Amino acid sequence: MLQLKNLDASYGFLQVLWDISLHVDEGEFVGLIGPNGAGKSTTLKSIIGLLTPKDGEILFEGQSIGPLPAYQVTRMGISYISEALNLFTDMSVRDNLLLGAYSIKDKQTQLETLDFVFGLFPRLKEREGQLAGTMSGGERKMLAIARGMMAKPRLMLVDEPSLGLAPHLVTDVFNSLRKLQKAGVTILMVEQRVNATLEVADRAYVLENGRVALQGTSDELTAHEHVRSAYIGV
Amino acid sequence: MQRTTSFGSVIVERITGNPAASVVMVGSLVLAVVIGVFGGAAQLVNAVVTGGMWALLAVGLALIFGVANVPYFAHGESFMIGAYVAFFVFDPIKTYLQDNSNPLLFALGPFAAVLAAGVVGFALGVGLERLLFYPLRQRTKAGEWVMNAFLLTLGISFVIINGTTLVLGPNFQGIPYYWAVDPLELESLEVRVTVDRLVSFGIAIITIVALWFFLRRTRIGRAIRAVAQDEVGAQLVGINLNFVYVLTFGLATATAAIAGASLLSIFQAYPTVGLIPLYTAWYVVILAGLGNVAGAIAGGFIVALLQTATQQWVGIGWANVVPIAAMVLVLLIVPSGIFGSEVKGVQEQ
Repeated sequence: MLQLKNLDASYGFLQVLWDISLHVDEGEFVGLIGPNGAGKSTTLKSIIGLLTPKDGEILFEGQSIGPLPAYQVTRMGISYISEALNLFTDMSVRDNLLLGAYSIKDKQTQLETLDFVFGLFPRLKEREGQLAGTMSGGERKMLAIARGMMAKPRLMLVDEPSLGLAPHLVTDVFNSLRKLQKAGVTILMVEQRVNATLEVADRAYVLENGRVALQGTSDELTAHEHVRSAYIGV
Repeated sequence: MQRTTSFGSVIVERITGNPAASVVMVGSLVLAVVIGVFGGAAQLVNAVVTGGMWALLAVGLALIFGVANVPYFAHGESFMIGAYVAFFVFDPIKTYLQDNSNPLLFALGPFAAVLAAGVVGFALGVGLERLLFYPLRQRTKAGEWVMNAFLLTLGISFVIINGTTLVLGPNFQGIPYYWAVDPLELESLEVRVTVDRLVSFGIAIITIVALWFFLRRTRIGRAIRAVAQDEVGAQLVGINLNFVYVLTFGLATATAAIAGASLLSIFQAYPTVGLIPLYTAWYVVILAGLGNVAGAIAGGFIVALLQTATQQWVGIGWANVVPIAAMVLVLLIVPSGIFGSEVKGVQEQ
């Protein structure tokens, strides 16, 4: 479904990604793990179009999306849940969600999707009229994910969802993502928490210094010597 | 405690969450009463009508700053162009009406002039955004945008004012009145308002309400507000930023042009007619809080009250001293403005 071929990316003159190749098949839950500064977020930003690749290809369902700007990539069926969340803090939960469905012109479909999303996240329904900026960290993450769902994406890119969350909330968030996977959404998740990621994802890529260092199924990686010593601390 | 976002509650929100704002709002109401009682109802009417005009101008400015992050110092030129367009549309109508009787044209002619001004104003905004600001945005590095955009607007203002002087001459061009009828009088309160002023106030209010409705209740209006709050978030929900910038500019310049057109019989049309509206609109926006659209509306009336009170009791030439002094005080004590600012890029530097 998603293919990155020999992707190079830079911020101005600073090159951050070298020759990244990876793929995500439909229905999978794939993790992108590695240390801070490895280029994980940069990879997601390149896919969604917030960053233009310096070289290489990004293919989504066969189409090249590398040069496309973010709003067009979103409209093609990919949602990006950024690390900063980028919520509309002065708007209500409901308005944030409705804006999530901006690319869907039909009002009826928007409302149906809203009901579906409220069904997945009942806590958000409770706080429908509340301003996004006044909610707790965990609730805002849920809102960001829910808003991403409003566009009916086929692929969801999630950037460090566990950041700043207490452990039991992290479980909640990861479980929500699993629910979404079961609802038919393919997920590519960037994370620093390796253990938790490998428990919930099907496969993962390990990024180090802007390159793909390792890849494999979660089971393979959990058993892998380097992963165990560097990231799991065994 | 849940906070909701219906129309009324937004206003209440702003007041109760913000003690400085409540004090100012209450103080302004008191001032209005004082003006009405001690200065006469005529003065109060004057203040309210002027307030409507400043509110309309300030809203456009607040929009451009809040959405596109441009400190727009060419706003007065949209006002000026609106006035000229209205003049060139209405002058032939006026000449025609002098010799021919046509009640429909008499009543609606001025509105045609104002509408024409709005359309031209919109086109101007779209043109400026696409031809000047869009290329500037592509070329500008992070952190330099605000200054670059500001300088560009100064240049635009300079070119438009001098271009107009070159083509149309520096002289006042205007009309004595839109509707050749007696002013409306309310003898018991010694109030006399010309129909022109009354209608211009009505146009200002209707335009503000229409704009408010558009921003709060329509899909595209919500998209504009989204871009003002979080550009990246807006992109991530599929909003085309360039489209929003163009539309916002067009709306802002259109509203300023409508203001200029509706006030043609009072201000007349000449190349620098837009400068005073420009400066006053900026006092309002800085006082109220940069990028704050609701605040700009309230601020317009507050500044008008201050100006009227100053003219009444200190002296006509002092009219702008008090608003400017207030602005300086605000910048010293509450730099984000009385009602709070909603800006994104200014803190970058």
